[in-house]
Amino acid sequence: MNVKAGNVKAGDRIPDWVMESVRPERMRTMAAILRDPNPVHWDRNSVAALGFGQHTINQGPLGLSYMINMLHEWAGPGAIRRLVMTFPMAVLDGDHITAKGVVTGVREEAGRRLADCDIWLERPGTEPPLKGTATVELT
Amino acid sequence: MTTSRPIPPEEEIRAIVGHAFPGGVYTVEHWENFLLTECTGADLLPGGMVHPVVLFHMPILGSKTTIGEMFALGQAESDFSIGIESYDWEMFAPLKEDVAYGISGKIVSAERRTSRNDRPYDRIQFQFEVAQPDGALAARTTITWHYRRGVL
Repeated sequence: MNVKAGNVKAGDRIPDWVMESVRPERMRTMAAILRDPNPVHWDRNSVAALGFGQHTINQGPLGLSYMINMLHEWAGPGAIRRLVMTFPMAVLDGDHITAKGVVTGVREEAGRRLADCDIWLERPGTEPPLKGTATVELT
Repeated sequence: MTTSRPIPPEEEIRAIVGHAFPGGVYTVEHWENFLLTECTGADLLPGGMVHPVVLFHMPILGSKTTIGEMFALGQAESDFSIGIESYDWEMFAPLKEDVAYGISGKIVSAERRTSRNDRPYDRIQFQFEVAQPDGALAARTTITWHYRRGVL
């Protein structure tokens, strides 16, 4: 069930969305869809040479997609109006990732009710590997 | 795949501002949306809606460029020398399967900077627009990458 627009206020926590384990086969599919030749997404040896161990590195957009999924479950598909994302750390295969968010403000614009949010990925034992902001239309 | 090269002159980097990609049309078919959405760990969205994560590759491929060409335009030392500063995705209308969207893209900023550890890098911004068949803007994306120098 999506959140009720009139009930949203600054400080509200957005329900978490969990990726239990980031799967390397999804990175390979994504690399093919993106036509992304970078071997860090499918070749463990190239990643090991960079000092990350025998892993593959998740595509940045895939990490971002976990936060999109969180926002969809909260506000409904099609509700996102803007995402601005930074990528301080790599997400690796096998990582347990939780998408998290909090409402920082609610405003009216051109007859629409918009929620501004801080959003980030949480991984046990590290700083957030991805973090940014989202604007979501509340209906 | 790019290869190792000396640090390019700053004026060569500045000169790529305004470079426009050919542009074109991109249609997300059901199979692509299915696979893309599966990669995110979510179920398909209702009503033929395309998962917004498409806003990374759809503008790039639809404007008739590639990640490899974008690396090469900034004279990347290697695939590993690219760092992501940010992705900024503005969404004005949900994207749907089997709709032919018009795509345009260009380089809007390119400048040399110095990192906190005193290493040079080039900050390059690409901006893409996704238009619905009637011309109305559906999305705008801005990719900001750092082309790190002397990292090999």
